[in-house]
Amino acid sequence: MGQLHLNKVTKSFGEIDVINGVTLDVKDGEFVVFVGPSGCGKSTLLRIIAGLEDATEGGIVIDGVKVNDLAPVKRGIAMVFQSYALYPHMSVFENIAFPLRVEKMPEADLKKKVESVAAVLKLDQRLQQRPGSLSGGQRQRVAIGRAIVREPKIFLFDEPLSNLDAALRADMRIELTKLHHDLAATMIYVTHDQIEAMTMADRIVVLNGGYISQVGKPLELYHKPQNKFVASFIGNPKMNFLPATCIAAKPEGVTVVCEGQTVTIPVEPRDGLTGEKLTLGIRPEHITLGAGDVKFDIVPSVVERLGVNTIVYASASGDAPFSAAFAGAAAVTVDTPATISFNAADCHLFDDKGEALERRTDLHEIDLEALNAV
Amino acid sequence: MSKQTAMINRYKWYEVISIYAAIAVFLFFVLAPFVEGFLVSLKPLSRLFSSPYRFWPEHGSFDAYFTMWDSVPNFGLYVFNSIFISTVVTVVVLILVVPAAYAFARFEFSGRGPLLAAFLAVNMFSGAVLLIPLFRLMRSLGILNTYAAMIVPGAAFLIPTAIWLLRTYMMRIPKELEEAAYVDGATRLYTLRRIILPLAMPGITVVAITTFIGAYAQQFIYALTFNSKTEFMPLPIGLFAYFGRQEVIWNELMAASFVGIAPALIVIFFLQRYLVSGLTAGAVK
Ligand SMILES: Nc1ncnc2c1ncn2[C@@H]1O[C@H](COP(=O)(O)OP(=O)(O)OP(=O)(O)O)[C@@H](O)[C@H]1O
Ligand SMILES: [Mg+2]
Repeated sequence: MGQLHLNKVTKSFGEIDVINGVTLDVKDGEFVVFVGPSGCGKSTLLRIIAGLEDATEGGIVIDGVKVNDLAPVKRGIAMVFQSYALYPHMSVFENIAFPLRVEKMPEADLKKKVESVAAVLKLDQRLQQRPGSLSGGQRQRVAIGRAIVREPKIFLFDEPLSNLDAALRADMRIELTKLHHDLAATMIYVTHDQIEAMTMADRIVVLNGGYISQVGKPLELYHKPQNKFVASFIGNPKMNFLPATCIAAKPEGVTVVCEGQTVTIPVEPRDGLTGEKLTLGIRPEHITLGAGDVKFDIVPSVVERLGVNTIVYASASGDAPFSAAFAGAAAVTVDTPATISFNAADCHLFDDKGEALERRTDLHEIDLEALNAV
Repeated sequence: MSKQTAMINRYKWYEVISIYAAIAVFLFFVLAPFVEGFLVSLKPLSRLFSSPYRFWPEHGSFDAYFTMWDSVPNFGLYVFNSIFISTVVTVVVLILVVPAAYAFARFEFSGRGPLLAAFLAVNMFSGAVLLIPLFRLMRSLGILNTYAAMIVPGAAFLIPTAIWLLRTYMMRIPKELEEAAYVDGATRLYTLRRIILPLAMPGITVVAITTFIGAYAQQFIYALTFNSKTEFMPLPIGLFAYFGRQEVIWNELMAASFVGIAPALIVIFFLQRYLVSGLTAGAVK
């Protein structure tokens, strides 16, 4: 069992409020990922759950027991640090065995356990080496081994892969997902890498400035972001935002004028929208060359050809450049105006406070249930 | 042009010459007294003040190294006392300083800053300035004329420097290592024993060496003031015995000095093997 409940947790360092009231439920066996920009309090929240930091206010409840005043071991958590935090003067074996030595486990059991963990993590050939002579990926595995050997209820990971190179990171990502499946333990994982978040998470928690911006399944966050922050944070390149003016809000959708064109976007209407200044959001990957509901010209300033797609950046009126991602090798060149378009169904609408008007996208259509059923 | 040296380590010929010249001047000042002392210890007493003065000894021999034991029969005991006092001081200092340095390095407690500053301030007074108050203190404690009279003030005045040294070293040990141990259920003491102490070993060795040398060097003043018993006298007092009523037996005095330093040199030689650097490699990336 590894249920976690955070109840209005806050944390201040002196005058600075870092966590401003976080309430969250994590189910047993769930893989939850915390994402957010640097300094938003991800590590702090994780350390509060671990017991390395006291919550200023609020309760941390694990399996129905309030654990605010319990030491980390008593909470049944294990933590993997971003910097690995391996003991450099001990062999890999002793590093993994450390939590068991603390428990004073009999030598025979200890040996069996460490060896089985080492086998899972493919470290059996390295047990006598010191961490200093291991590669980054192997060190990471030792750190994970030290966490799983104790069989905790909840695993906490603080950016465990951020020190690895891209290829190794992809491998470790797959291994961690497998490990989660095999151990069926609750895992809470901090990252600022959206690919890690999207691929590994059952649910993603987007933090912004110490608040939870949105909690949801990866595709939910992608298709139905509740606010501009989540919309721009999830997805790469970032969502484009265009100014739009509402001229009508009817049951079938909200009609706006954007780039001089009138388009009706299928979102839930709300009273008093007519005449309001809104923001229209469109993801780069939903922009096509040629015909569509809204059509306008851009002058590409940078063209990136990645093979699988072509990413085009153009200077726009706003502060962020306008970007578009076309499938394959698209016929665009720098400084040559290109006509692009997008469809009303792909658009997001945000009010002046940055809150999204709920899209009429049916997540079942996106096959979410089917995905989860596999 | 040598291909092995990195660009940053390459010097022009005149730079090389000035570097070596500077080293030579420095070494001359440091080593000249030792060389002179050693040469004196080889000369027969009668030739010492022969004029013209000769740097190189005529009829040089190691006789003084044998006769010195006869002139001052207790010399062996003095050397032993010195080593004994220094060793006890070092052990006491280490026992007190290791946990203290750890606390100063890691714990936030009120008064930490002022305390550290006070330690520095204490260093500005050598024990000599405080001799009279110390004497009265020793007398009321009733430890005048015992080993303790030399050990207690010796240790006390070496602790502040030792704390500063070791605290700086311990602050370099990554905090995550302790946090990881704490998450795994280790107590503070267990962490100190299994993680901090092994990693701080080079720092502890430095502290041990400086404390030992410090204790060896500073005994003189305490021994002179707080102790009048011959059997507890350390080496520097023992050397005084070579100052006879009529004359100073210079060659034996020099020989005795070298013999007296030898044990300290041997201790340092063995301790420095533990000054392994780079022990924390691989802890954190
Ligand atoms: N011990 C501390 N004392 C004071 N402020 C702190 C302390 N620890 C963290 N903070 C502040 O809390 C804020 C959140 O820090 P935190 O480490 O949780 O960010 P993060 O989301 O993990 O960022 P990153 O992605 O860069 O790791 C930061 O502004 C930081 O300055
Ligand atoms: Mg962090």
